[in-house]
Order: sequence, then structure tokens, then C-alpha cells
Amino acid sequence: MALQETIPWIEKYRPRSLSEIINQEAIVNSLKTILSTHSVPHMLFTGPPGVGKTATAHAFASDLYGSRYIEDGHFLEINASDERGIDVIREKVKGFARTIPIGGIGFKILLLDEADQLTSDAQHAFRRVMEQFSATCRFILAANYANRIIEPIQSRCAVFRFKPIELEHMRKAVERIASKEGLEVTSRAVEALYEVTEGDLRRCINLLQTASTYSKKIDENLVFQVAGLAWGGEVRRLLELAAAGKIEDARKQLRLILYVNGASERDLIGQIYRDLFYLSIPEKKKLELISLLGEVDFRVSQGANPELQLMMFLANLYSASQAGK
Amino acid sequence: MSLPWTEKYRPRRVAEVVGNEEAKKQFEEWMRSWEKGNPSTKAALLVGPPGTGKTSLVLAYASEHGYDVVEVNASDERSSEKLKAIVGESARQTTLGGTRKRIILLDEVDGIAGREAAGGIATLASIIKSTRTPIVMVANDPWSPRLAPLRESALMIKFNKLRQREIVSHLKRILESEGVRIDEGIVAEIARRSEGDMRSAINDAQILVSTGGAAESLLATLGLRDRQKTSFEVLAEIFGSTSAASGRASVQGSDMEIEDIITWVYDNILNQIHNPQAIADVFKLLADADLHYSRVKRLQRWELLRYVAPLLGAGPGVVKHMYGEKGVKFEFPSTIRFMQQTREQRALIQSALTKIAAKTKMSRTKAASEMLPFLAEMLRKGEKGVARYFELSDEEVKALIGLGGRQLSEGAPAARAAPTEGRTTRPRQTRGARRSP
Repeated sequence: MALQETIPWIEKYRPRSLSEIINQEAIVNSLKTILSTHSVPHMLFTGPPGVGKTATAHAFASDLYGSRYIEDGHFLEINASDERGIDVIREKVKGFARTIPIGGIGFKILLLDEADQLTSDAQHAFRRVMEQFSATCRFILAANYANRIIEPIQSRCAVFRFKPIELEHMRKAVERIASKEGLEVTSRAVEALYEVTEGDLRRCINLLQTASTYSKKIDENLVFQVAGLAWGGEVRRLLELAAAGKIEDARKQLRLILYVNGASERDLIGQIYRDLFYLSIPEKKKLELISLLGEVDFRVSQGANPELQLMMFLANLYSASQAGK
Repeated sequence: MSLPWTEKYRPRRVAEVVGNEEAKKQFEEWMRSWEKGNPSTKAALLVGPPGTGKTSLVLAYASEHGYDVVEVNASDERSSEKLKAIVGESARQTTLGGTRKRIILLDEVDGIAGREAAGGIATLASIIKSTRTPIVMVANDPWSPRLAPLRESALMIKFNKLRQREIVSHLKRILESEGVRIDEGIVAEIARRSEGDMRSAINDAQILVSTGGAAESLLATLGLRDRQKTSFEVLAEIFGSTSAASGRASVQGSDMEIEDIITWVYDNILNQIHNPQAIADVFKLLADADLHYSRVKRLQRWELLRYVAPLLGAGPGVVKHMYGEKGVKFEFPSTIRFMQQTREQRALIQSALTKIAAKTKMSRTKAASEMLPFLAEMLRKGEKGVARYFELSDEEVKALIGLGGRQLSEGAPAARAAPTEGRTTRPRQTRGARRSP
């Protein structure tokens, strides 16, 4: 007997059709209208992570072309941050958009995910690609930040702003999964999920699945503890080591997070920012450290060395926590 | 002057190469593994100071065992394209034509400098992967961070400075064949001045002889070679600096690349300085130097380079002095060691991430932050099914489990304590960094 696979719930419960998309009623309605007319514009989906941008693009394509939308070659997803440069992307688009599948509706759809990871030069080049292939291909761009997409692209797209998932929608999504998976999730646990994920449904579902490996009964304590384990723990430990003056261990931990875990420095800085508020150091020092972290954030975004800049921050955290004693 | 003695007396057999017995043995073993058709590594990296016999060993082995040596001077072939053409070509020709055995010899790989360094080294690393001809690379500074990608795929063979008596006896042999007599004291002096560099010793001896007078006065005029300062010497100057001007001079007077100095200083701060405030101060100055340097590089604003040297060169020493810190020893950058130690784990995590990213249609970076922490946690709890879904190997699973995890039972911190009553008074978490403004 083949060993059983466990499908990650974010895949298992991925919406298959626009009618399964939650929380984004206005967008879903507009897209359904577009579907009925078959006149599809280029589109830009913006909004925070885990609110359904990519899922909506897939659901839209599935409704438009049928469930074999990928296999039949109607739809291609490219991830901007994984492809090496605009030339590679251009070649991929070219290969995909050169032909129109027989029996199709005259055009294909290409989803460019994490489009705001492209530099503005690359975006200008991509805009030309859009022009070149607009006869045979419609483009959907997904991005966290609209303002990181150059204006010429924005002006060529219908822009859809996705809202953070609201508590009541998250509750419904959690209840649906809980009933299928045989879980008992308390109401306070849902609030806890909402609080720690800040309306990010992907994180919420991942967290729920992880918690379910501990217990089928999920309460708020379990949610907080698993959340701490899953992504707070490593960064918390980093800050604790630095504050305790174990600065060499802190450097090792920093390297593990940056180079071994493969986390992006942006995510790391974001998590440090969130954890900073709960450190026991004098509030004045805390404010100075927040400002310093802002400086580190900016420097790293401008090409400075992340490890060195973050060690500078940790060294200052060390000296600030000494001052409080 | 007739044929330079350094060429005329180049060893023809491995046994004639002076000194560095251990390195010779390693190299011969490596070449034997090629002859058996099962090379231990595709490339060898011979590192050591100038004039210690690195190139000579390769040439001697080749002439003794009937190889042709294709020499490429890495620092001359500036562009990685060129490098690829030359190295790629001769590697291929061997596999197709194969009339005579070949060794590719890449000199001065640590000299691949400047903007093309990254590309050149990366190209080289990829050529090494596919080569069917032994590639021997020669470099002086084993700790150059630029060599890191090569260090991972090549057998590193270290050469040390030659001993004075090794140089003396070799010089005597040469002088004997030339039928020249020189005072023993002068031979010893030449050897001493060479500081373990056979090539310079032979050159000096030849100049002395060819200019007619085996005179001591002439020896004095030869002077000491202007040797590159070692990384340790530069470091000692920087941590000993007490003024902005002297620190600037230390950086400007060294042959090290700015990035390398930053790495060396960065990795030695904690050996040298222990007061918390001093650590904070010195990191602040170093981070500022890095900031200015990043502007130079990214914006090509070379006029800003002048702000780097004083901060980088004087910051550590001035702060150290101010706090009366008495650091003693300097170490090779721990960064290099860390990367070597974690190489396997990093590779496994990256290959796991590639699989996860492909299945979830995320970028690898996104998969690292969105999927990895949860997967690691599930795997730690023995949930093997997800590993099967992502087709992860046992090694990859092990690497993921090893990601610094703590079980709940081990008292790992909660995201926060659950509120005992009502809403928490904690400040609300804002996700400023992630939400659209």
C-alpha cells in the first residue's frame, strides 16, 4: 500500500471557482461580470499577503476556461521574484503567448505573481512585453503594494484592491475546514488566529493545520503557542540572546536565520519590529531602537550588507538592555 | 640576460619541486583519482604565498606524466565570457579529440576582480561542475571571500612559505650548475630576504651573478620587495589605530578589497571588544562604513569612497582605545567557517524549498517565510504525510526538523500569553511592513 500523503490544507481548500472566494465580494462581482462578457482587460491585483490574489486569478481562469485551464495551456503563472531577470520572463511570455489554443476564446491569461519584486527598469521592459502580446494574451499582475508598480502599467490595468480578511470571514473559513477535518476550534481560538495572522488566511490555515498535529481540540492557548513556535520563536531567541549579552550566539543565530532558514531579510526585519515592542528594556531605549531598525531597514533596501547592519542593531540592543539594569 | 633561471631550472619532475611535501602528496593523489577515471573533485585550488611552487608542481607533474597544460591567466581574461570560451573549449576538446591528456591551469583566480568578479567566479564554478579535464586553480590568499564559491567545489591544497635552508640548498644547486661561486653568507642573505619566496630568491641570485659582481653592496641595492601586507597585519593596524588619519592610511595603504576588510573587521570585533557600549559604538561606525560603501557600489558614486576608509580603518581602533579594551588575538573570519559548516544543511533546505515552491506556486523566498516554519513544526510532530506530498527526501526532512525548533514541551515561547480576561492591553500588532500604505 502506498504511504499516505497529507495535502497541505492551503492546497486542499484552495478555492476552485470565483464563488468560493471569500471576503472580496465587490471584486468577485466585477470579475463575474467580466466573465459573462468575455472582454477581459489586463488586471492588477493588489493587497496584503494571504487575502486571495493568486487564488482569485486561478479561480477566474478556471471559471473562464474550465477546470483543465492549466493543462490545456490557457493559463501560465510566472513568479517574478524567482525568475532570473526580465529577459527570462520575456522569453517565457513569448513561448506562451505566441500561439492561441484551438477551441479557446481568442486569448490566454498570464499571471505574474509578486510583480512588485521587479525593479522599475524591469517593469518598463515588462510593459513593452504586455503591449507586444496583448492581442493573444491578457496579463494579471499580483502585488502587495500598488505604489511599487510603475504608473504606465497601472494605467493599462484594471486595478483591484483586495481587503484584509475580516474576522467573520476568517471564522467561516476556519469552521468549514474544522468540520471537514473533525476539529473542535473554540471561538476564542478563531479570534486568536485572527489576531496573530492579522487577516492573512494562508497563515491562518497553515497555523490551524500545524496546531491540529498537537490536538484535535484547538483553543486560544494552543494557537498562540504554535504561532510562537512557527515563526516568532527563532527571532525572539535572537533578540533574547542579544539582550542577554550573548552576542556571539546572537550572531550565530542571525546567520542561521539569514543563510540556513532562507528567510528574506525583509521578513526578518518585519518580525524584529513586531517583537521589539515586548522586550523588557526602558521605553525610551525601545523608541531609539525602533528608529535604528528603521534605519537598518532602509539601508538594507538600498544595498547595504544585511548581516552587518543587523548586528549593529543587535549590538545596540545589547547596550540598551545593559543600560536598563 | 639569457633564459631566466626561474624557467631554466623549473622542476621537470614532482620530486624536484622543493618543499611542501604534504601538498605534493595531496596533488598527486588527486591526479591519480583522475587517472582512475573517478576524480575526488573536479578541480583543485592550490593556495599559498608567491614563489612556493604551486605552478611548478603542476608543470612538473604534467611533464612527468605526459600532460599538456592549457594555461589561462584568470586576471587577464577580464570578462567571464572569455573565460568560459577558453576553459569551456579545451575541456570539451579533450573529451572529443582526446589525443593527449590535458590539465587546465588557471592562474591568479583571486585576481578576478572588480565588477566582473561575481560573474567570473560563478561561471568558473559552473564550468567546474561539468568539466572532464582536471582544472587546477592557483591563488595567493586562501581567505579571499571571492573564492568562497570555488572553495566549495574544489580540493583546497595549501602551500606554505619555503624554509630558508630549502631555499639555500636549491640556490646552491643552481649556482653549481652555472659554475658560479658566491659567498655562503650572501646566499643565506638572499634566502632570508626572500621570506620564503623561491622565485624572488632565484631572480635575486641571477641578477647578482649577471651584473658581474658577487658583491655585498649590490645585494643591499636590491632591497626588500614591497610585500603585500597580510590580512592580519592590516587588521592589527586597524584595531591599533588611534586617529582618523592613521586609520584612513591603514585602509588606503592595504591591497585588500574594501569588502574583505569589512568582513575581517566585522568578524573580529567580538574578539577584540567586550564592553557593551563599545561593541555598539564600533558596530555603528562599521555599519556606517558599509552604508557609504554600498552607495559607492550601487550608485557608482566613487567620490563617496573617501568616507569609507576613515570609518572602517579608525572606528575599531579609536573605540577600542577609548574603552581601554585589550583584545589579543585575531581570527580568520568566522563567516567563512560558518558557511562551510552549514553547506550541506543549506543545500538541503534550498532543494526542499525548490520542491515546496514548485508545488505551492510560490517563490522560494515566499515559501521560506510562509511554508517552512509550519512544515518544520508539522514534521517535528511526526506528520510524515506532508513530506510525502512535497516529495521531500529523508535528508531534506531531517534538515527541516533541524531548523532550530523547540517543542512546546520544552517551554518554547508563545506568540504571547493568552489573555486571562477580556481583550489584551498589549499594543496591537501592526503589520506596517506588509500592508499597503
